[in-house]
Amino acid sequence: MSDNEVTLTIDGKSVTVPKGTKVVDAAKRIDVEIPVFCYHEKIGPLGCCRMCLVEVEKMPKLMTACTMDVAPDMVVKTTTDKVVKGQKGVLEFTLLNHPLDCPVCDKGGECPLQDNTFKYGAPDTRMEFHRANNAKATPLSPVITIDRERCIACQRCTAYSERIEQDSALVMLNRGFHNEVGTFNNEPYNTRFSGNVIDICPVGALTNTEFRFKARTWDLTNTETLCAHCGCNCNITMGTRLNEFMRIEARPNDAVDDGWICDKGRWGHNFMHSKNKITTARENSVGDGKPTSFPVLPHNCTIEDAAGKVAQAFKKIAEEHGPESVGFIGSPYGTNEENYLYQKFFRHGLGSNNIDHKSYQDTPGLPVSHYGVEQVETSNVVLLIASDPTEELPILDLRIKKAVTACGTRLVSLNDQKIALDRYSSQSLQYKVGCEAQAIDTLTHGLARELGEPAPAKDADQSGISAEDMKSLVETVRTSMKICVVYNPSALSGEAVFGVKRLLKMIAKVPTMECGAIPAAPMTNALGAMDMGLLPDFYPGGLSMSDQEEIKKQWGEKAPTGTGLSALEMIARAEKGELKALLVHRSNPVMDFPGGLRVTEALKKLDLLVVHDMLETETAKLANLVLPSNGPGYDEGTTTNIGGRVQARKKALETTQAPDWKIINLMLNVLGDETNYRRVSDVTEEIACRVPGYQEISKRSVGKTGCNREPISSADESVSDKSVQAGKGKDGSLRLRIATFLFAHDKILDASSKLAHHFQPSTAHFNEKDAARLGIQDGNTVLLSAENINLEAIARVDNRCQSGGVVVPRVSDEQGVNGLIGADGGTAWVQVRKV
Amino acid sequence: MSGFTFSAEQEKEIENIFAKYPFKKSAMLPLLTLVQRAERRVSPEAMVAISKKMDCSPAYVQSVMSFYTMYHAEKVGKYMILFCINISCQLNGCDKLLEYTAKKLGIKVGETTPDEKFTLHREECLALCTEAPMMRINDTYYGDLTEQRIGQILDSLD
Amino acid sequence: MTQILFKNINMKDLHTMKVYEEQGGYRSLKKAFAQKPEEIVEAVKASGLRGRGGAGFPTGLKWSFLAKDVFPRYLCCNADESEPGTCKDRELMLKNPHMLIEGMILCAYACRIETGYIYLRGEFHDLNFIMEKALEDAYAKGYLGKNILGSGFNLDIYTHLGAGAYICGEESALLNSLEGERGEPRMKPPFPAVEGLYAKPTVVNNVETLCVVPYIVNEGAEKYASLGTEKSKGTKLVSVSGHVKKPGNYEVVLGTPIREIIYDLAGGIRDGNKLKAFIPGGSSVPMLPADQVDVSYDYESLAAAGTMLGSGAMIVIDDSVNIVETTLRLISFYMHESCGKCTPCREGTRWLYQIVEKIMQNKGQLDYIEKMEDICDNMNMKAFCPLADACVSPVVSSIKYFRSDYEEYFKNVPVGSV
Repeated sequence: MSDNEVTLTIDGKSVTVPKGTKVVDAAKRIDVEIPVFCYHEKIGPLGCCRMCLVEVEKMPKLMTACTMDVAPDMVVKTTTDKVVKGQKGVLEFTLLNHPLDCPVCDKGGECPLQDNTFKYGAPDTRMEFHRANNAKATPLSPVITIDRERCIACQRCTAYSERIEQDSALVMLNRGFHNEVGTFNNEPYNTRFSGNVIDICPVGALTNTEFRFKARTWDLTNTETLCAHCGCNCNITMGTRLNEFMRIEARPNDAVDDGWICDKGRWGHNFMHSKNKITTARENSVGDGKPTSFPVLPHNCTIEDAAGKVAQAFKKIAEEHGPESVGFIGSPYGTNEENYLYQKFFRHGLGSNNIDHKSYQDTPGLPVSHYGVEQVETSNVVLLIASDPTEELPILDLRIKKAVTACGTRLVSLNDQKIALDRYSSQSLQYKVGCEAQAIDTLTHGLARELGEPAPAKDADQSGISAEDMKSLVETVRTSMKICVVYNPSALSGEAVFGVKRLLKMIAKVPTMECGAIPAAPMTNALGAMDMGLLPDFYPGGLSMSDQEEIKKQWGEKAPTGTGLSALEMIARAEKGELKALLVHRSNPVMDFPGGLRVTEALKKLDLLVVHDMLETETAKLANLVLPSNGPGYDEGTTTNIGGRVQARKKALETTQAPDWKIINLMLNVLGDETNYRRVSDVTEEIACRVPGYQEISKRSVGKTGCNREPISSADESVSDKSVQAGKGKDGSLRLRIATFLFAHDKILDASSKLAHHFQPSTAHFNEKDAARLGIQDGNTVLLSAENINLEAIARVDNRCQSGGVVVPRVSDEQGVNGLIGADGGTAWVQVRKV
Repeated sequence: MSGFTFSAEQEKEIENIFAKYPFKKSAMLPLLTLVQRAERRVSPEAMVAISKKMDCSPAYVQSVMSFYTMYHAEKVGKYMILFCINISCQLNGCDKLLEYTAKKLGIKVGETTPDEKFTLHREECLALCTEAPMMRINDTYYGDLTEQRIGQILDSLD
Repeated sequence: MTQILFKNINMKDLHTMKVYEEQGGYRSLKKAFAQKPEEIVEAVKASGLRGRGGAGFPTGLKWSFLAKDVFPRYLCCNADESEPGTCKDRELMLKNPHMLIEGMILCAYACRIETGYIYLRGEFHDLNFIMEKALEDAYAKGYLGKNILGSGFNLDIYTHLGAGAYICGEESALLNSLEGERGEPRMKPPFPAVEGLYAKPTVVNNVETLCVVPYIVNEGAEKYASLGTEKSKGTKLVSVSGHVKKPGNYEVVLGTPIREIIYDLAGGIRDGNKLKAFIPGGSSVPMLPADQVDVSYDYESLAAAGTMLGSGAMIVIDDSVNIVETTLRLISFYMHESCGKCTPCREGTRWLYQIVEKIMQNKGQLDYIEKMEDICDNMNMKAFCPLADACVSPVVSSIKYFRSDYEEYFKNVPVGSV
């Protein structure tokens, strides 16, 4: 037993636990149940409900097990007459003014108050007076209903708001018997993580409005699956009944979500039953009579038939025009299995390396450890680069707040815009929009000089960060001992991502430094897509195209070894008529890629465009043929989160529609591949065999809480000639930064979304200097133009970025903000004028 | 929500308040008191203004504000009468005197006169038990109350 | 009788620096600064001084519990005098504010504290002016501020007003309130001496307690300890209120018989009535019936009699009163002042109120008394802070000594009404 452990006795059983453990948690270890209402392991002790009374030897009065730290040789008793009387008394008080509406309460069947009363309470009540008549069901927000009569004032929810979400939006109002949970001036409780209060409410006071009166909890089929919105891959339980969606709840996994989910994860599920869902294979009529090599589909053709025809058509085009004439734009939202099979279809089946899934630059692998999300808590410093977790990866936001406020972690950030987490950081440095590469290099060089590594004597840094600030950041990084670098590759322009990798290499050179990184792209499975080789220059598992010998060894003599086209290059080739056929899986280049109208024009020039997606998109409209993809809720497979954790997404809802992996399997069969996967785990098994880093991944190892994949080897990042230098803007134009907004009104959160109340108008955020120069005042309507596209927005003069830039949060598809960026994917320069 | 701004004088006072404490958060009660005394209530708009000063959520301000009995959401009269009804005053006949006071003002306990001159509240022990029965009007304590004395006091206030 | 705190209490202009100094005010500082801080702590320990706010915890011991070598530390003077029946601190501060400041300086020096706050209940706005003026004068004289009297010791004292909450008299709730939070009590441990104001070591002492310190420093611990009984040293201010001829604050040597306090100092029961009961230490302590009037007024004797000395408020009740009325008023008080944080207090106080109210409406049932006792047992020592226990005190003691007063109401229950 170490000095940090304590041995005590609970109900005659000895237990050894770490110092600082609460008695109630120590008891759990030896299966002694101490009932609680207010205590929640993640929130910490409150001492409000008094349910956990226990007797402790040498203490005259009953103690609350949730507030008491264990002590050596402590003797705790939980079943003595004194305890039993105390528990009964507390329960009687708790139930005194609690309505007995259990028969119609949504919490019924999973209610700690019911359970504790059943186990520890008296069979009847001595209360014979009027119970308090507090307000019954009233909306706390459009998605949460509060029943103040059922509230037992345990303060779990308000403590959650204060300690976990840390915005104190939900508070205790009034005093004493008139205590109530509420918000400021009865405004809706509309935070990013509000729904967690439903999960933690120990009674039926806070309920999920959409689930109210829909089903009894014991009638639900609960599927332990994953949220598919962002790269965190939080664990959720999806409740369904008779194949109908009922609700989503958090399913705690400390390695991923720490027990919480964001509101998008909980309520952003309408896409599963959207009217825009693609449910059949269809051929679009080609209005302009352009030639198509695609045979006309028979009426009512099955998805399987359509898939077969797609494969034949691609095969034909590849044979006629060469493998370089076909391409694939895959999805950072697809599962590993789908992504793996598609790259196999194109590489193995068609011999093409024209495979990609993104419009920014990145390569697989890290030169340092790949940290899991939980490592944020144990790092001394977290360095955020171009990352805005609050909007991009919400659960990471909570984890960082926890690290800073409870674990002594220091947060520092390098970004081109102000972010919500700045209030937690000890240093937030802002570089000018588009100047990330310079800022990062300056940091790397600063470190190099401290370490005596080769570096320019001085940096002519034009990024807008003062030498003094940079020096201080260098010092923070250098002396951190353990640092976790969180960077968002999708928010880095040009080749800045390679700068980050050089920085990581440099940090790793600091003596005794523990350095890890989290590549924090916001998309569900961005990491998995790279791991699965949805890249023009890498085979799965980070196998570089330059390693031809290994490729041939692994993938056969016929495996293509020439670097393929990136997604943006494919579009460019299509524009020139050189790319003939393109398959787009769960991606919407028309809306999401830079290039604006040019993307549409380019895609129209293709001989064959096939879109395999779950929802109708602008790209699907242009397609010759559309295949349905099941998507989250209905699909199954694994995804790899930002921390490298591979977890299983399971299907909660049945559909007769063929799953994506089966469709791709069929397509492979048409090309002569005889593999016949019976279930998705067969694909997972093949991944384990063929993808370095995934050897240990199996249905079993992934289980309920996931399994970390091994690090992917890192390619040499020092050379890259692929960078696109941002040109000079015209006089007076501003560099555009498109920011992520969590509740964007897009295909996923459509107009019927439960979260529509979060939608924001289009805004453009200016530095006051630019605003003054352009004569713009806060609240003015402005027009941003570039690439023949105009975007109207409300001006906000809030210094969100340095002068010379403008930040536009992507708030809706309608806004079409990506169209402002040039087709080369470089930094966009926009002209701004007041309307 | 706008509509409330601190006057220049109040801003000065707020600075002095902040100077008393090593942490800003301690200024919460003094700021609420400042507003209550100036506005005779703490309006939602004022809570927003305070939350900005304090760098906290307006909900938090309301949470604190609603805990303490000296802050009022509804505007109180020019003269706030806190009539002690606790034990020592009870033993000395405060109940009848309170009734008398209410009648004299023409309102019920807890109400404000239509001209917004007086608000009459029942109050717990105010620490003048040796001169019970007692009441506090604004910042002044009045002990050894009788009907006659109450009448004189109320009449003397304009 | 020896007067320490009230020696010159009614002297004209005692609240001014001039008069206070003429009476020997602030002379303890030089004496104190000539000693090591620890010596002052030892002297206070030796004096036997116990906290005068209600809990009666030995003051010197409290000071010695401060977390070692953790700075800054804070001193909070608890001037949230709200315990029903208690009004001694108000009189002390109103008439002799410098005595408190002098006591705070000594305490701060002894405990190596450089910042002090006087937490006044919000209703003491008038006292706030008096204290602020006194502080200003003390700064002007160099008794506060940097390098006090050339000692190298620095101290700033500020006043802080509450805003109407009895619970803020509980030391940890007071700290929350001073930090701008709801006045809900804090979890203990950690105790304020370890993690108090702003999570730093903090001394929280009552006004009266701090006012005693100059005497101990000037006259010596022994002299103070020579007063009173074996375990109750020194003098105590007693606020005598209720049905007495001469209500007022009186300073008595601990160990004085209660009879003397009620009959000699306060002039006895008025209107020709007889003593029925008295609450010896503020509303939170059990009441005693008239036949216990010879109990001596000190910590141990009152404990032996089943009650407490508390804050030193002697509430005297004559035989014209039915105790149930008084009890209901006190339950109502605790119900109003319960912060609502914990279940037994929030729910129990209201339930008791409902029951006693019913009894007073002649609608009680015979098993109500038994039920009340059981509810009290379920509240007692099971709540987050002692407020629930305080509510239980008058209920249990009134049943114990005046059950017949309850039965009066049951006699009148109309037949068949329940």
